[in-house]
Amino acid sequence: MIASLIAALLISLTIGILLTFLFLPSLKGGTAGPAFRFFAGGGLGIGVTSCLYFVCLLNGLTRYLPAIDLGVCLFLGMLCFILFRRPAAIAEHPLPEAGKRSRFPILLAAIFSVELVASLVSFIFAFLKEPHGKWDAWLIWNMHARFLFRGGDHWRDAFASGLDWSHWDYPLLLPLSIARGWQYMGSESLPVPAIMAFVFTFLTLGLLLSALFLLRGRSQGYLAAMILLGTPFFIVLGAAQFADVPLAFFILTTFVLLHLHARSPGNRPGALILAGLAAGICAWTKNEGLLFLVIVTGSLFCTTVHVGGWRSALKRTVGFLAGALPILLIVIYFKSQLSPANDLMAGFGPASAAAKLTDLGRYAEIAKAFFITGISFTQGLIDVRVGMRLNPGAVNILLLIVYLFLAGVRIDRRDRISLFQSTAVLVLMLIGYFFIYVLTPLDLGYHLATSLNRVLFQLWPSVIFLCFMIAGSPEMSPADGPGPAPVAPGKRSTGANKTRKPKEPK
Amino acid sequence: MPPTHTTYRQKASIILLVVLSGYAVLNLLWQGVRSYPELPQTDPVTIHETRIAQLLPLLPASGAVGYVTTVENERIFAGEKTFINVEFLAQYVLTQYTLVPRIVHNRPDLPLVIGNFIDGPPAPGFLEQNGLAPLKDFGDGLVLYRREPKP
Repeated sequence: MIASLIAALLISLTIGILLTFLFLPSLKGGTAGPAFRFFAGGGLGIGVTSCLYFVCLLNGLTRYLPAIDLGVCLFLGMLCFILFRRPAAIAEHPLPEAGKRSRFPILLAAIFSVELVASLVSFIFAFLKEPHGKWDAWLIWNMHARFLFRGGDHWRDAFASGLDWSHWDYPLLLPLSIARGWQYMGSESLPVPAIMAFVFTFLTLGLLLSALFLLRGRSQGYLAAMILLGTPFFIVLGAAQFADVPLAFFILTTFVLLHLHARSPGNRPGALILAGLAAGICAWTKNEGLLFLVIVTGSLFCTTVHVGGWRSALKRTVGFLAGALPILLIVIYFKSQLSPANDLMAGFGPASAAAKLTDLGRYAEIAKAFFITGISFTQGLIDVRVGMRLNPGAVNILLLIVYLFLAGVRIDRRDRISLFQSTAVLVLMLIGYFFIYVLTPLDLGYHLATSLNRVLFQLWPSVIFLCFMIAGSPEMSPADGPGPAPVAPGKRSTGANKTRKPKEPK
Repeated sequence: MPPTHTTYRQKASIILLVVLSGYAVLNLLWQGVRSYPELPQTDPVTIHETRIAQLLPLLPASGAVGYVTTVENERIFAGEKTFINVEFLAQYVLTQYTLVPRIVHNRPDLPLVIGNFIDGPPAPGFLEQNGLAPLKDFGDGLVLYRREPKP
């Protein structure tokens, strides 16, 4: 049985890795390139295979699922084989190889390894304490997985069951991924949801590490990964078996791929299409992912209009949406044909919206909650009976600010637009979340207490990634030339401080 | 690769980050180690599942069943919204979680109704009022009822 589960995960992983080979054929960077393919591809593969499983469910083909998965795997493998037989396709503009290792990253690697082992043990303790996960795991995600798997031909019934408290409008990536594992095994097994939670938790960590290895250098990768491991909520939420860590993973994947696209000479569209795919999978993971997809598309379009004009903006946005489209079609089908109305949309009318929008007390309450939770969310789930309390802990947003102040800011010229784009997306996401709370039909205090720390966490790995994309590095990035001195915080990098890079063909 | 140029501020930033993240990681590990001996042999969800699973042989493979508990059905969700008592909601949700793919409705007006009285019996007259006659008592507050049509 365990061999079947491993096969299910390996097929997902292979599909994802093959997709990265198809769309990022020239990605190099020493060990960082394959590592990035493994971590980003692993998650994307799980997203794609969950969609395949959904299509099989719709068409009553679940018994052929392994054969269909394998067929897709072989098809992508053949495409890769054909593509890689053409030498020109693989030799174009690789990212530079990592330089010779110095002692400093090795020291950081040793410390990181200790933290990684400690976090693995903490994850296992959390699993032993709550093998079914925390509240939302068995109220929503694992419950949905059970309905999809146990329901047989009647799996649709649950969506019209009237069990609104289980949020049947929530997208199905996580429940389908769990049910897919059971489908391969032929029966239900308690550890599968926990294994999926473990996979996404450590894919997120690995993606952050490998992406910064590629784009900024080993030290930055290790330091960023240490911040994430030092976030207790990361392990707690991962082991809780919620969908927030998978969503955080796909948001991070989108940002990393947009940065890779910006670094790609000639702006080849492969990374952009994969970024679109990742953003589409965000919408297939949680409803917040829909907001992310809209915002990231708008941000991509607007920044490209500003920098390169309408034509370039349209071209890039179409490329991005081409990646998102297959997943988006599935989300649209799910939302229009299966899902009941969202609890936040139910009872939504212009009169009540206007009343809430003009209620200044709501703004003050939400702003206070954003402030307290913004500093405290890294410390774990709050006790809703006690309410929100300031609990910064050792690792929080303030640590990142202090780190940036001390380490200085050094921005690679090639990253400026993608950094602006990503920061704009994060800010707009926060504004979006803020207004969702303003308009919520639920009791405001209840809604804030039960969700704000999780929605802030969804952005946290991306915030860490962006912080280390701009932080002054103690070593040279493999992609950098001779390095400029760090710029004092608050000052913009001048022309003299620009990182040198070879001229790019227009 | 050019020689590494690390300023004192950069060194301080790295030391700060390594120390604080290391402290946070080890603190979480210590909490896990400390709580490990106190962990029950079986977690509460599995205990509840085992208890509710006794109903399975008497329930249809699919379809809907009703649910009653110590408090009135309306109060199950009200208690959770105000954080006063989430226990009744947890018991109801875990009953549904165990009995998937059957649908467990939070109301007593169905032909088969599950009585989950782990926190004590319902208000006097509640069962009679809803025409619920016991089909099987599993002990430990778990009863399966058949709803008899009112004369």
